[in-house]
Amino acid sequence: MKIITLVRGTIRELAAKATLYVLAGISTLILIAALLAVGANSTPDGMTITFFGNQASPPVTNETLEDLAGKLEAGFASGLFLGIVVFGVFGTAGVIPDALEKGTVDLYLSKPIARWQLLLGKYLGSVSVIFLNIIYFIGGLWIIVGLKVGVWNGRFLLSALLLTYVFASLYSVVTFFGVLSRNMAIAIIAGILYLILVAGPLDSRQTGLYLISESGIYRGILDGLFYTFPQIPAMQSGAMHIIAGERAEAAPYIQSFLSSGCILALSAWILRRRDF
Amino acid sequence: MFAIEAEGLSKVYRNGIFRRQEVAALTDFSIQVAPGQIFSLLGPNGAGKTTFIKMLLSLASPTSGTASILGQKLPDVRVREKVGYLPENHRYPGYLTGDQVLRYFGELGGAPRAAIRGRVDVLLGLVGLAQWRTMKVKKYSKGMLQRLGLAQALMNEPEILFLDEPTDGVDPVGRKEIREILKDLKQRGKTIFLNSHLLSEVELVSDRVAVLDRGRLLKVGTVDEMTAAGQAYVIGINGTLPDAVVVAARAFVMGLALQGENITAECRTTAELNRVIDLLRANNVEITSVTRQRNTLEESFISLIAKEARQ
Repeated sequence: MKIITLVRGTIRELAAKATLYVLAGISTLILIAALLAVGANSTPDGMTITFFGNQASPPVTNETLEDLAGKLEAGFASGLFLGIVVFGVFGTAGVIPDALEKGTVDLYLSKPIARWQLLLGKYLGSVSVIFLNIIYFIGGLWIIVGLKVGVWNGRFLLSALLLTYVFASLYSVVTFFGVLSRNMAIAIIAGILYLILVAGPLDSRQTGLYLISESGIYRGILDGLFYTFPQIPAMQSGAMHIIAGERAEAAPYIQSFLSSGCILALSAWILRRRDF
Repeated sequence: MFAIEAEGLSKVYRNGIFRRQEVAALTDFSIQVAPGQIFSLLGPNGAGKTTFIKMLLSLASPTSGTASILGQKLPDVRVREKVGYLPENHRYPGYLTGDQVLRYFGELGGAPRAAIRGRVDVLLGLVGLAQWRTMKVKKYSKGMLQRLGLAQALMNEPEILFLDEPTDGVDPVGRKEIREILKDLKQRGKTIFLNSHLLSEVELVSDRVAVLDRGRLLKVGTVDEMTAAGQAYVIGINGTLPDAVVVAARAFVMGLALQGENITAECRTTAELNRVIDLLRANNVEITSVTRQRNTLEESFISLIAKEARQ
């Protein structure tokens, strides 16, 4: 119950910030553009996708049209993910440090709330706001593509959950550094650097970091790290495959769930030991 | 059962990069606060007053010692359902209105949802913020924020109220109103634990007072005990005092001074005081009053701190 109150409070807190309105604004602009641009034409040779009235694909069968629409949606979702990383992390990274600031944390912790509940409530509140942003964009685009192309791709709707899940995994890292440093800037930088310098290189280690050394120990360490941290790029790529109607592995999602859980538990443990 | 009990409570903060620099914020602090009292903790800045409250509320963990609230040994999350806290430098979410702040922290404090609406109305009226309830708190003055803080601390109808500098930034009229609220709460059986620099106010409302300095407890007692100035008595008389009586009295008391129609007699015992009275009456001096001379709480506090500094 108190966690729900904290979640609602965090949603309200983020609603008062401008950053996430920028993300929602960009989503709206893209949706308007999609509404104006995307369409489908029926020709004697089959269906074609149009872009601003111009034919953007050769005439295809209805089944192929579904594949094309899926790829189009995957492209949009990929762009959305970038927006979430930039605006989502920037917009929400301050939630934990703000809650732990002197004068605020005293108010929270003088209530009958365990510290892990405070952390979880704030974490889930931030993730909920990002989910609302994602569902707005994905849902809007799903309706537009459905109405204008005639393809109602349920997998695209499912991707809203997957992308939220990817963000939640990344946000566990941001939360950890937020607890550790109580500083929004450090939490943002750590989250982005994790993505660029840790998650990305580890994901593509077989074509990158492996080339530095052939040592089994070295590669074992890399593999160990890969399976220790949330696998953001693998999950994002998996989501795109699912939208496009292709197979995706469940392993990165399961491993990231465990990994993010451990990172959050570690954050709660650090928070529990802290004096305010 | 005591409302608050601490036994040998100590807190050492470790600072620096390698946490090697130790700062003793509280040392072997033991105290007992009975239910229904207004208890004030006094001390200069850095004396350890806020640290003590923070340990009771589990915002900081003790290095050693134990504490309990309403008989429940700390740390205990559930005990905080019975506690209200107004921190010294509170920061409320600026995007919320006064009304929303109370609802939010009321829910977090465990107040029943059905009761929150009514309680918000009552408390906003009590602290004089009813007309500002829909204004965002970022526009509130310092005094208004203190009033809101007090209302927030009362949202879950606590049995114990911890107030850290509750009248900070509040105007004299507001301070009086807050004092009245505290007295009313006391009458309703609430225990109030007060940290304040405003000693004149503490003196007006407190039942018992403790003085802390550099983390050590110097003295605990009632306000009367704290402000008593030794065994000096002021005896009011009508008319003038014959010189012979003055000489006779000075022969057995520690000191005797005359100021208008007041005699200040420094006696070692009450027997000596009675001897002075007998002497006055035997010489037909009309006595109008006998009162024990007192210092203000501020004078007593400064004297105690100065004495500690000399040692």
